[in-house]
Amino acid sequence: MNVEEDKKIFSEASQYVLDKELAKIVNISMSLEMPLLLKGEPGTGKTMLAYAIAESLKMPLIVLNVKSSMKLIDALYQYDTLTRLNDSRFGDSTRNVSNIEEYIKMAKIGQAFVANERTILLIDEIDKADTDFQDDMLDVLDQMEFDILEIDKTIKTKHRPVIIITSNAKKDLSDPFLGRCNFHHIAFPEPDMMREIVQVHFPSISQDLLEASVNTFYRLRNFNEVEKKPATRELINWVRALRADPDFKVKELIKGNIPYLGILFKKSPDYAVAQKSVSRFRL
Amino acid sequence: MFTEFFYTLRQVGVPVSPTSFLTLQKALSGGLINSVDDFYISARAILIKSERYFDLFDQVFAHYFKGIELADPAGVDLAEAARALLDSWLSDPQAIANALGVDEESLSKMSPEELIEYFLERLKEQTEAHHGGGKWIGTGGTSPVGHSGYHPGGMRVGGRSRNKSAVKVAMDRRYRDYSQQAPLTRHHMGEALKRLRNMVPFGPKDKVDVDETIYRTMKNGGEIELIFNRSLRDKLKIILAIDNGGWSMDPYIDILQSLFDYSRSQFKDLKVYFFHNTIYDYLWADPQRRSKPHSVDELVKIDPETRFIIVGDASMAPYEIMATDGSIHIEERSGKPSLERLRFLSSTFRHSAWLNPKPADEWPYTRTVNVIRQIFPMFEITLDGLDKMATHLMSKN
Repeated sequence: MNVEEDKKIFSEASQYVLDKELAKIVNISMSLEMPLLLKGEPGTGKTMLAYAIAESLKMPLIVLNVKSSMKLIDALYQYDTLTRLNDSRFGDSTRNVSNIEEYIKMAKIGQAFVANERTILLIDEIDKADTDFQDDMLDVLDQMEFDILEIDKTIKTKHRPVIIITSNAKKDLSDPFLGRCNFHHIAFPEPDMMREIVQVHFPSISQDLLEASVNTFYRLRNFNEVEKKPATRELINWVRALRADPDFKVKELIKGNIPYLGILFKKSPDYAVAQKSVSRFRL
Repeated sequence: MFTEFFYTLRQVGVPVSPTSFLTLQKALSGGLINSVDDFYISARAILIKSERYFDLFDQVFAHYFKGIELADPAGVDLAEAARALLDSWLSDPQAIANALGVDEESLSKMSPEELIEYFLERLKEQTEAHHGGGKWIGTGGTSPVGHSGYHPGGMRVGGRSRNKSAVKVAMDRRYRDYSQQAPLTRHHMGEALKRLRNMVPFGPKDKVDVDETIYRTMKNGGEIELIFNRSLRDKLKIILAIDNGGWSMDPYIDILQSLFDYSRSQFKDLKVYFFHNTIYDYLWADPQRRSKPHSVDELVKIDPETRFIIVGDASMAPYEIMATDGSIHIEERSGKPSLERLRFLSSTFRHSAWLNPKPADEWPYTRTVNVIRQIFPMFEITLDGLDKMATHLMSKN
C-alpha cells in the first residue's frame, strides 16, 4: 500500500451529501485497493459519488460508460488501423508507420492505467454489458495489467486507480465478479437526508419550498401502481423547475396543485396514474 | 480474528467466501479499523455482496458483538424453532420489506431476538386454535406471525400453530432458497441460452471492414479504398408460447417466471403467447387468455425463420389433443384436433421446440407427452436441456 496515497481521505464534496457509512466504505476500498461496487435504485447518486470523490480528493476522473455491445478490448485500447493505412499511403505525418505503437490509443481503462497520477475510474452501469465483459474485466482489474496483442506489450498500472463500479441491478453479476469487489447498496434517502440533499443543490432555497416539495415528493413516491418511482434526480430537476417558474407559489403546492408532474413521472402510464391520484389531493 | 463470526455468518446462510474474509483480515491488520462501527461498516462492505443479506448480517453482528442470544433458553425445541424462524425470516428480504411496510419504525428496531421472543410468547400464551384477530398465531388476522394474515410477509406458521410445524415450515422455506434443486437462476439461464443469437448485418454501413479495405487498397495499387459494412446485430425472432393454465403447471411457476424474465430482457424480438394445455385455434397475448386472441392460422404470415418455443408440461387427457372438439373450454370448438394444429405449427416453423418443466424421466409415463414428442423435439428445463434446445434451434437444418 502506498503510504502517501493513503493519507488522502474522502470526507466531503460540494454537491454531494455523503453519509458517513458510505465515506468509510469508500476509504476502506481505497486503502484495500479493491473496486467498490455500488447498487441502488436509478437516480440515487451512484454515479455522482465518483464525481464527488474526484472533486474531494482532487483526482482526475475517468468515466467508462458501459454499453451493451461493448467488448473488453474497446475499454482497454484501440488500434487505429485506418490512420496507419492512410499514413503509409501518403507518408506526410510525423508518425513512424512501421512503429505500430504510435497507432495504439488508450481507451478509458487503459488511460486510467497509464496515467501519471492516481485516477478514479468510474465504470458506469456494468450490468448493461454481458457476463463475458464482466468476467474478462475482472482479470484485468485483478492483475492490474493487460496485453496489447498488436505490439506484444503488457501495460501495467503506474498508479492503481480507485475503481467505482455502478450497477442498476437489472441483471445479477457473476459470483467471481462480486467476490473481488467491495459492495454497497445505496438505499433511498430518508426525508431528512433528502432535505439536506436538496439544500446542497439549492443553497438559497426557502424553507417553505423545501418542506413542501420534499413532503409532496414522498407522497408521490407512495403511489404503488407507478412503475418507475421518481428518485433524487427527478426531485432535483423538479425543484429546479419550480424555482424557475415565476408564477409558482408554495401555497399552491401545499394545497395539492402540483405542477410539472412530467418531470417526476416519465412513463406515460405512470404520468396518467399520478395525475389521477394527484387530483385526489385537492379534495 | 473473528473466525467464529465468519462461521456464524456461513451457518445462517450468508454466502461469505474465505477470500473476502482474508481481505477483512488485511483491513484489520492495516490499521484501517479502529472501532466497532468501523468494523461493522467495513465487514459488511467486504464480506456481503448483495443487499439481500444486509439484514441477516446485521442480526449476526448483533448476536456476535452485542451478545444478543439467537436462541431461546426455554428448550431445545423452541431454540431450534427460533433459529429456523430467524433464518427463514431473514432469508426472505421481501418479507422484511413488506413487514416493515406495516410498522416500519418499530420493526426495523426489532432485533431478531425480539421477534423470536414475540413469536414464542404468542406460542406460549396460545392454547387453542385461533383465526383472525390482531395478536394470536393462526390464520388471518394482523399479527406478524401466523399465516394468510394481514402481514403479507409475516412468518408463516403451519396450520397447527405448534412449534414443531413452525420448524417444519420455516425449514422448508429456508432450504428451498439455497438447495441445489432450486430453480435455475436467470444467470444460469443466460449462460444456457446465450447461443440463441442470430447475428446479421443491420443498419447503416458505418463499420470499416479492415481486411477488405486493405485488400481493395492493394488491388488499387496503394490507392486507399475504404470499405464499409453494416455492423452485426442480433435479429433473432422468437415466439414463446406458454401453458399458463390449470393446476398442472403450478409447480413450475418459479422456473417459468425466470425464463420469461430472461427472455423479455434478452431477446430483442420476442412475442409471448399463452395457452392452456395445448393449442387449438387461438393463442392469447394476454395471460388471462380472454381479451387478445391471436389466430393460429395467421401465424403463417410471420417469418418462418422465427424460433417457435412452446413451454408446457404436455400432460393432459388424451382426448384433449386427439379429439376434434378436444378443448376443455367450451368456447373453443374448432373442428380441428389440437394434434393437427401442432403439426401445422411445427411445419410452419422449422426451428421449433417444446420445453417441458417436468423431469425427462417422467415423460414416458404420460401418453400425451409421447404424442407431442413425435411432433416437436422436447427438452427439459434444466441447464443441460436449455443448452440442447439452443443448439437445436440454431442448427442450420
